Amino acid sequence: MKNRASLSRSPRKSIAVISAALVGALALSAMPAQGASTPGVSDTEIVLGMQLPQTGLASPGYNKVDDAMRAYFDYVNSKGGVNGRKITLVAYDDEYKAGKTVTTASRLINKDKVFAMVGSVGTQTHISVIKDINRRGIPDLFVLSGYSGFYTDPKKYPTTFGSLGTYVTEAKILGKYIKENMATKNVGILYQTDDFGRNTVEGLGIAGLTFTAKKNAASFVAGTQGSGLDAQMQQLKDNNVEVVIVGAVASAFASAVASSNKIGYKPQYVVISVGSDATTFQTILGARGIPAASSAGLLAGTISASHAPSPGEADDEFVKAFKKINDEFNKGPATGKAWDNNVLQGMNIGYMMTAALMGAGKNLTRPGIINYIKNNPSKLSSAALAPLGYSATTHEAYTGFWIGKYDATAVLKPIDGTRKMWTTDSAKGPVTELKYTRPAIAADALPKVG
Amino acid sequence: MRAVSNHNKKSIARTSLIRTLLFVAAILLVGAQFDAYNQGQLAVVLILFIGVLSVTLLTGISGQLSLGQGALMAVGGYSTALLMINYKLSLWVAVPLSVISSAIAGLLLGIAAARLRGPYLAGTTLVIALAIPTIANRFMSVFKGDEGLPVDVGYPPQWFSNLFGEPGYEQWQLYVALPFAAIALFFASNILKSRTGRMWRSIRDNETATSLSGVNFSRQKIYVFVISSSFAGLSGALYGLRGLVGPSVYPVSLSLLLLTAAVLGGIRSITGAFIGTVIVVFLPDWIDLVLVNFELSEQVSNYLPALISSLLLILTVVINPAGVAGTRLHKHK
Amino acid sequence: MNTFLAALSSGTSRGAIFALVALGLVIVWRGAGIVNFAQMGQAMFSTYIASTLITNGNSYWIAFFVALISGAVLGALLDILVMRPLSNKKQSELLSSESMRAAVPVIASLGILGVLQALAGIIWAAEERGFPAPAKQEGFTVAGNVLPFTSFDLFVVSIVTVTLIITTLFFTKTGIGLAMRATALNQEVAKLSGIRTNRTRTISWAISGAASSLAGLLITPTSNLSPNSLDLVLIVGFTAAVVGGLDSPAGAVLGGFILGMVISFVTFYSTPEDVFLAILAVLLIVLIIRPRGILGSKDARRV
Repeated sequence: MKNRASLSRSPRKSIAVISAALVGALALSAMPAQGASTPGVSDTEIVLGMQLPQTGLASPGYNKVDDAMRAYFDYVNSKGGVNGRKITLVAYDDEYKAGKTVTTASRLINKDKVFAMVGSVGTQTHISVIKDINRRGIPDLFVLSGYSGFYTDPKKYPTTFGSLGTYVTEAKILGKYIKENMATKNVGILYQTDDFGRNTVEGLGIAGLTFTAKKNAASFVAGTQGSGLDAQMQQLKDNNVEVVIVGAVASAFASAVASSNKIGYKPQYVVISVGSDATTFQTILGARGIPAASSAGLLAGTISASHAPSPGEADDEFVKAFKKINDEFNKGPATGKAWDNNVLQGMNIGYMMTAALMGAGKNLTRPGIINYIKNNPSKLSSAALAPLGYSATTHEAYTGFWIGKYDATAVLKPIDGTRKMWTTDSAKGPVTELKYTRPAIAADALPKVG
Repeated sequence: MRAVSNHNKKSIARTSLIRTLLFVAAILLVGAQFDAYNQGQLAVVLILFIGVLSVTLLTGISGQLSLGQGALMAVGGYSTALLMINYKLSLWVAVPLSVISSAIAGLLLGIAAARLRGPYLAGTTLVIALAIPTIANRFMSVFKGDEGLPVDVGYPPQWFSNLFGEPGYEQWQLYVALPFAAIALFFASNILKSRTGRMWRSIRDNETATSLSGVNFSRQKIYVFVISSSFAGLSGALYGLRGLVGPSVYPVSLSLLLLTAAVLGGIRSITGAFIGTVIVVFLPDWIDLVLVNFELSEQVSNYLPALISSLLLILTVVINPAGVAGTRLHKHK
Repeated sequence: MNTFLAALSSGTSRGAIFALVALGLVIVWRGAGIVNFAQMGQAMFSTYIASTLITNGNSYWIAFFVALISGAVLGALLDILVMRPLSNKKQSELLSSESMRAAVPVIASLGILGVLQALAGIIWAAEERGFPAPAKQEGFTVAGNVLPFTSFDLFVVSIVTVTLIITTLFFTKTGIGLAMRATALNQEVAKLSGIRTNRTRTISWAISGAASSLAGLLITPTSNLSPNSLDLVLIVGFTAAVVGGLDSPAGAVLGGFILGMVISFVTFYSTPEDVFLAILAVLLIVLIIRPRGILGSKDARRV
């Protein structure tokens, strides 16, 4: 007990002194307000920020997007940048853990002083930072999530703009197709129990397709598809489901097909675009000892939708141009730059971002670029075969999808030979045909916003 | 005798109070020097420090190894979020109430765990850390599944801004976390020096002798769990207030992070808990500072923090089990 | 009926693998008094080695045996580099108490798990890979009905059975096996009676490493391979070992099959969200009713 005496000799006095010091310290620590110049923009550089899962269970596939975006920006930089400014992309790994996303966002904003966030991947993780990013007025552009909650109330999140169609929209369009073309078939669903899976079920419900758990609806916890989907596929088989709609990521779709194959179950698959990436599908089945020809066979006939050309459409002018840039400029690891849907998406976001920066002009400000994007969605054309849907009432990107079927070479081809675009909203509106002619890509593969 | 022990209690409380006030002063002074990002990081240090203290009390002092502190953090986080969203309570009311709900969770866990020892306890708590977050998807309408419940610290009240100037967002996170961390520190340092702390240590050091000496062994073990869970719940509540309460905020790896911090710093001391937390929170930033000079692929640099902290963990237990603050061990023994 | 059969079959092949994982845990527990939480990290690492060999054009069987051997070597290395120095440190103040002596190796094994996962991420990237099976993954057809039981499932069940028989014989009939049991019961007495306890400990780590590598090789064809992909398997395996009795190889097998069935039937008849809660429930029920596990011995060394 003696050793404590030294500190507590005159406790009252020391407590009073320290308390006084505290108030002083608190007053001292108040920081002056920040200056008014636009962060992340200098005469020679524009700094952009991005967060995505580069490691961990949720990373496969998505971890290629940043390398693809950076490759496109490097290409733009090699052509002199935008208004003389080179584009730098700072990307951080948030491991798909929302606690970490808050830290990486703060780092991008305060330390790297990014001008805008671009192409951030993820739903749960983005929910944790979207309010703060908007409160600070930082442009939160081309978010890679189809979660409609981010976009359908622009008053709540004025700086956030998407780069995908919403899951609800896509499900409504596929649902209508199924309703009209497979009316006699027994339709069921396999979905992951997160926002993506549930939004899919919601959209199909609006289209008039409803499901009963334990009967024609099977689900799994997102991230657990690795341990196989035997039970789910057996359940669908036992209930004589002939058409299986898949609202799940690509590795889960691959697991589902492997499990079905095991029990001789060969339903017609209708897969939401997020889950139908042919490369991921073939890589996973390929490593399981199923050669590419056979896995293409398993994929053949699968119906899916897309707002962009299929990465396998070698004669599409955007695919051709992006592929060339990817080969030349992508500095990612060999597996990371392999041409697939994720790389195409990344390139496309890079292209749109460049267009937005050009359009916002020499005097680049945060409100400036937000206003430009909000008012000129038609000038931000890209590889997408549908126009951007940004308006005063929504910041959803693509409200148009075309429906396709995988051929024997694992390329998604328009289902009736000719490509027809369909459009609708994320609410109860009808599905109608969309007429849109995509502006051509320039010879130098740079966007033209003039 | 009684008079002496009363005097002792008072002097313990005084020492702890002085220690706490010095801590608060130091944090404020250091925080003032930091930029906004590091203020946010410092806030994370304070928040996780509370969680690491829960490990220090449970594992370091009473010798029970839990790998499920993250689940108890989730209890605190969800309680706070539900109280703030459904009942529109201020965080200053919701957070203390969540401490109570985590204490109750700790009581249940303690009753179940009182008869478990060593690896049995570790494994069971690990399963708990895995199972608890899945409840969020099981009861969607309440917990909102994977999307979770968005909550944050909001803005400071007007009187605060008038008095001290408008703080930045990260700075306000720091100011919100500080009083709670101070309270946690005060209690932890009191407990450690009190009769209770000595009793807990005797549980750890010699169960048989302790039970022979008439201490109700099981009840004390449950008591440790309740206190430790309160700390974890408080930490989890503040951690959720950084933006979101959801399953992806409280993964199993969070439990392991707390344990790593406690071991690196020194699992038996409060100073160690703080040093360890600083290490695990700032390690990625320090690594980046070094890496700036090297051309490394993302693939390597992304895994380096995990690699280095795991290596440090092994080296600590093998070479210097007492941790960074190990020299202090003898004082408290 | 079909659903029931499917659940039974899936429970059997899964259960066989969980049994193997549990067996690996039991061997190290008996041999060294440690629950090795890094075990499936070791398995992940050696499965990646096998996967790399196959990708580079080697045959499945070469990769298979290299993986088993590297699993054993890795296990032995971990004991020599980490666990043995740790056990020699028992005199230190922090390790002076019984409870900390049990806790510290667990912490060390978690550190090892972290290192292995980070290294795998650095070396093989965080890309999800599949892993081939040596037998067909298509169900047997009986009377026109495709059964949910494949040649590969049969392969898994038989190879696990063989492994279990070999391990049992090893522990009961061979000198080393008996020495390991003696070491497990009382290290000091074993030392006095001339058993080289350090060596027997290392051997048990090696055997456990090989067994868990086998589990890794057998489970990845029906799942995918990534640095974290076997985390859940370890947790299920641990539960299986505790349910069966942490010191009983036969109990590990029984526990493995119980867990396999529980998980399978919960997935088939309830919802997959309930799986983790079901695992927790099984664990708590066993620990409350029969803490030493179904086949655990009465004087099980419960530290």
